Amino acid sequence: MKKLSLFIMLLLVSLAANASSILIKGADIYSANGLLPKSNIYIENGIITTIGRSTPMSADMDIDGSGMSITAGLFNASTHIGTVEVSAISPTVDFYSENEEVTAALRISDAFNPRSTLIPHNRVHGLTHALLVPESGTNLFSGQVGLVQLGNQPKVIHNSLAIALDFTEYGVELSGSSRAAALVQLRQALDDAKDFSRNRKAAMAGEHRDYVLSYADLAALEPVVNGDKPLLVKTHRASDITTILALAKDFQLQLILSGAIEGWMVADEIAKAGIPVIMDPIHNLPNSYESLGARLDNAKLLADAGITLLFTGMGGSDTHNAYLVKQSAGNAVANGLSKSAAIAAMTSNPAEVFGATVSGDIAVNQTADLVLWGGDPLELTSEAQLVLINGEVIPMESRSFQLRDRYFKRLKKD
Amino acid sequence: MKNALLKSLALITAVTLSGCGETAKGPIEITLPNKNPYPSTYKAPESPAFALIGANLLTGDGAELTNTDLLIENGKIAAIGPALALQPGTIQIDANGQWVTPGLIDVHSHMGVYPSPSTSNHSDGNEMTSPVTAEVWAEHSVWPEDPQFEKALAGGVTTVQILPGSGNLIGGRGVTLKNIPSLTVQGMKFPGAPYSLKMACGENPKRVYGSRNTLPSTRMGNMAGYRKAWIQAAEYRKSWDEYLKDSDSRSLSNTPTRNLRLETLAGVLEGDIRIHNHCYKVDEMAQMIDMSKEFGYKIAAFHHAVEAYKAAPMLAEEGICGVMWADWWGFKQEAFDMVRENIALVDYAQACAVIHSDNPIQVQRLNQEIAKAMSAGNRMGLDISAAKAIRWGTYNAAMSLGLEDQIGSLAVGKNADIVLWTKHPLSVYSLAQKVWIDGNLRFDRFDKSVQPTSDFNLGIISAGEARP
Repeated sequence: MKKLSLFIMLLLVSLAANASSILIKGADIYSANGLLPKSNIYIENGIITTIGRSTPMSADMDIDGSGMSITAGLFNASTHIGTVEVSAISPTVDFYSENEEVTAALRISDAFNPRSTLIPHNRVHGLTHALLVPESGTNLFSGQVGLVQLGNQPKVIHNSLAIALDFTEYGVELSGSSRAAALVQLRQALDDAKDFSRNRKAAMAGEHRDYVLSYADLAALEPVVNGDKPLLVKTHRASDITTILALAKDFQLQLILSGAIEGWMVADEIAKAGIPVIMDPIHNLPNSYESLGARLDNAKLLADAGITLLFTGMGGSDTHNAYLVKQSAGNAVANGLSKSAAIAAMTSNPAEVFGATVSGDIAVNQTADLVLWGGDPLELTSEAQLVLINGEVIPMESRSFQLRDRYFKRLKKD
Repeated sequence: MKNALLKSLALITAVTLSGCGETAKGPIEITLPNKNPYPSTYKAPESPAFALIGANLLTGDGAELTNTDLLIENGKIAAIGPALALQPGTIQIDANGQWVTPGLIDVHSHMGVYPSPSTSNHSDGNEMTSPVTAEVWAEHSVWPEDPQFEKALAGGVTTVQILPGSGNLIGGRGVTLKNIPSLTVQGMKFPGAPYSLKMACGENPKRVYGSRNTLPSTRMGNMAGYRKAWIQAAEYRKSWDEYLKDSDSRSLSNTPTRNLRLETLAGVLEGDIRIHNHCYKVDEMAQMIDMSKEFGYKIAAFHHAVEAYKAAPMLAEEGICGVMWADWWGFKQEAFDMVRENIALVDYAQACAVIHSDNPIQVQRLNQEIAKAMSAGNRMGLDISAAKAIRWGTYNAAMSLGLEDQIGSLAVGKNADIVLWTKHPLSVYSLAQKVWIDGNLRFDRFDKSVQPTSDFNLGIISAGEARP
């Protein structure tokens, strides 16, 4: 619960912005290999050159990191960041479509707005990367999953890492409101995509059986049915998870599960199939009949079974406050998950699972994507003191900070 | 303020006219509307005296006391101090080095009225069939078996105000509950707690009714809607006042017709019912304050007050609590100007700052929401201690409910609503370990026999097991 005054923090950031070398001394460094207590880290021209005690003695910018900690930048594995500004203002909302001809083909990253006010707000609190996961508008298929980096020039770094599918009660409702009917449609769509893939030229010329999806959607599904791209399936009920595991096996799909509120009930099945799970460990309420088994130690139970976890959260704040994935992770630890597993679930695991061109780790010779926290990395009282994204120091500026400063000035006068 | 209407059940006998030779009329018996027709049936079970020994207390009213004993007798806090001399036989609980706070209070909850599962059969929080529904009472919608209650208890929440939703200009009465398992809502009602009335500014009512092409579809429509209601309420109140004052003309045929909607609004004008006003924006807060003066009532609190930091001097001046989230924003235009320092800045301006959840996930960790709000304030250099910050979910919250004389702080004579934490209460790793309400242990993390679970949960997780 260390406090650093605003003045010192601003000074630190403004100095660091011009520094070609940065030395942070004596911080606890949480890397994918474990905790390096009270260690130094040396960053030169955005690259981590040394970690440990044998770093150079000084740099353009020296920071005393004692009592502080360093993690890789936070990576939230399920957001809409940059594709919504104000949720209730529909023209600002691009992460789903009501166009029946565009489902699997919806490439959410095409709508990414690098000037969104959500980006500075999240990165000053340590969020450096986020998956963009579209939502379903007209049927089970939601669209293509993107990955964005939120640095000084925010950008899409992958525009189609997976195809998202919604097999929750919501997605099922969109496709005839019976799980059984949704499965018929899903199998048909996958069969169609195979048929389309085999006979693409003829199919595009109109010589094909009746397809349940548009050409664009079938083309988007082609790498999925060929096993080259994962199908990311959001589903919660234990029996639905089992159903999807069986379907993925039948069609020889790469699968990633998302949601999995009742995942703990079928943890062994998921682990056996080697399927990673994107989840928010905060859920413990039977909020619907597909999540009756919700419990707060879901993350711990899944991790104990050997499943790779990717975190999102917290709750409904997974986009405007996507950095609060850290709060979900802290709660998972409070309920039994190891701290290192929790940190990996919002740093290195998502990078690894998606084969993204970002390490999600702190290691020598890597571009620095990291956060210096004022204390324990998961404590809510540990503020981000310094954030580097893609080797660059992020200015501690956001619309919210501007509002704060404007009104604090007025309050001080009163 | 006080007049005959305040008497909850008054039997007034009209005076017999006694002029010479006049025919004496028989006395007319008048029964005034019962103000408490659904009374609390809660009674704190008797519990033996016990003491927490050597604890660190965040008292809820701003102090931190280390290595201090806390004695509880007859459901009340009987003594606080270092090394208390205890009567023989007093149960002693070793709390050495452990943290204790008052029970947390959530002044904005929809537990029971928007329960889990959130299916339409139990979705009873918003009577959106007319923009003014002051006649509805949230307590009549509360499903006591809502599994959310027990999870809030496991988060150290001992008192909750359940409010109707914000789809209407005037949404209905709220109710303050003790967070205990009960078959009936009456069994949870906080005895003697004042009623509240939910009002809503801004986007929600104008969206709900605008989409139906009825008033209000604009913010000026909102204002017209409230004012019309207050005018009717003032007339209604007057008709009863005159009727009760003027015994000469009193007769059964002159008795005003009871109107449930106006009865609640008149209760606000009488000062019996406290206004809890959903209102995000500073400009609308100012309109609401003017309107309260126009009609002569007091606003207890602005809820979801995302722009409270802009209104802070006004809130301090008027004695209105700002009830806020730590960091929610962006779901509507009126929630766009969020600052994480909102609560800290309202506190800085010496207005009453209160944390709230409005959400079944956050109600389980109000301590974390307080931690975030404190940390944001400290980041900007405000130097807020944990002892100061915990007030936002304890003493200040109690003030907004009008219950600060009974709950909200660890002080002699107050209800023994107490939480013993596993770690510092503002740590993300901390969990409520034991929770007492009126001196009764209602939750114990390490004793399955003191982990209440709703009927709903049975046979779902595994029989008889509480949901972690």
